[in-house]
Amino acid sequence: MMMKRAIAFAFCLPLFAAGTLEPVNEAGFQKLVLSHKGKVVVYDFWATWCAPCRAEFPQLVKLQARLRSQGVKVVTISADEPEQKAAAEAFIQKFGVQGPAYLKKADDDDHFINAIDPKWSGALPALFLYDKSGHKVRSFIGETDMAALEAAIRKLL
Amino acid sequence: MRKTLAIAFALSAAMLSAQEFKAGSQVSDFQVRDLDGKAVSFSALKGPITVVTFIATQCPVSNSYNQRMIELYKDYTPKNVKFIFVNANRSEPANEVREHAKRVGFSFPVYKDPDNVVADRFDAQVTPESYVIDSSGILRYHGSIDDEMNASRVRTQRLRLALDALLAGKPVPAMETKAFGCTIKRVHRVS
Repeated sequence: MMMKRAIAFAFCLPLFAAGTLEPVNEAGFQKLVLSHKGKVVVYDFWATWCAPCRAEFPQLVKLQARLRSQGVKVVTISADEPEQKAAAEAFIQKFGVQGPAYLKKADDDDHFINAIDPKWSGALPALFLYDKSGHKVRSFIGETDMAALEAAIRKLL
Repeated sequence: MRKTLAIAFALSAAMLSAQEFKAGSQVSDFQVRDLDGKAVSFSALKGPITVVTFIATQCPVSNSYNQRMIELYKDYTPKNVKFIFVNANRSEPANEVREHAKRVGFSFPVYKDPDNVVADRFDAQVTPESYVIDSSGILRYHGSIDDEMNASRVRTQRLRLALDALLAGKPVPAMETKAFGCTIKRVHRVS
């Protein structure tokens, strides 16, 4: 009985294999935001070709580990091309990213970028900070001072 | 007094970050430096139609466009379009820009924008990022060269469409577009 229940429960969970990237488009991103209501969330747009993105990635993983118990989540979305998916997955696996991670799936990058934030140029790295109500409160474009990001997060807790 | 100073600092910070050249607005003269450090004015480089493109030596996105930039230059220079390729990255000095241009076979000069003054006036954020200025000095296009980093998947040749429209005396189909790219590595200013 217990076994059956456990199996049933397992099937109810989204099937995200650890260290793999799930595709996300504009609509999917809005669903992600809704699904994270109640948490302070940092959406990290990065790419394997982006050196500052790679540099700040482990810092974001550490930040998430430190603040997870306070309801903070870092959601990573790779802007890599489909050809780089395996390389992007290998990269996130190296840092043991917890929870699902995503790969941008856009028919039109211009439209995708505008859907995330009309003020965003598309420059990477880009971090978007959302409060517990699911509202975007701040963006960090380019190399980001992790202390400034953490201070902004703590104001929302 | 303190309040006046605070306002003055706030104003100067705003002026430093203010975008001066917007789509549809007039582009006034600006200066870049050749790779020997000599100042060169936009007014001396411009043509009936001028393309200003911010590029990089180390950015993989910019580098994925090297061949496309060479082809654009080859195809549109005979049509009297002038190209100004600018490197505004603080992290990429003139000697690196020169070596890179030689290595990738650029058939055009690349200029430096020390302290990213020109990048700030255009509010350029990424590499590559292009601007097209018409014969009246009006900025007619701002955005990406095309819609795909991977050349084999390009569907819309955005910069070419803008140039073709201007050469035909027609309105540019999309004046502003976006694309994923590397941030321009700017100098740190006190603000």
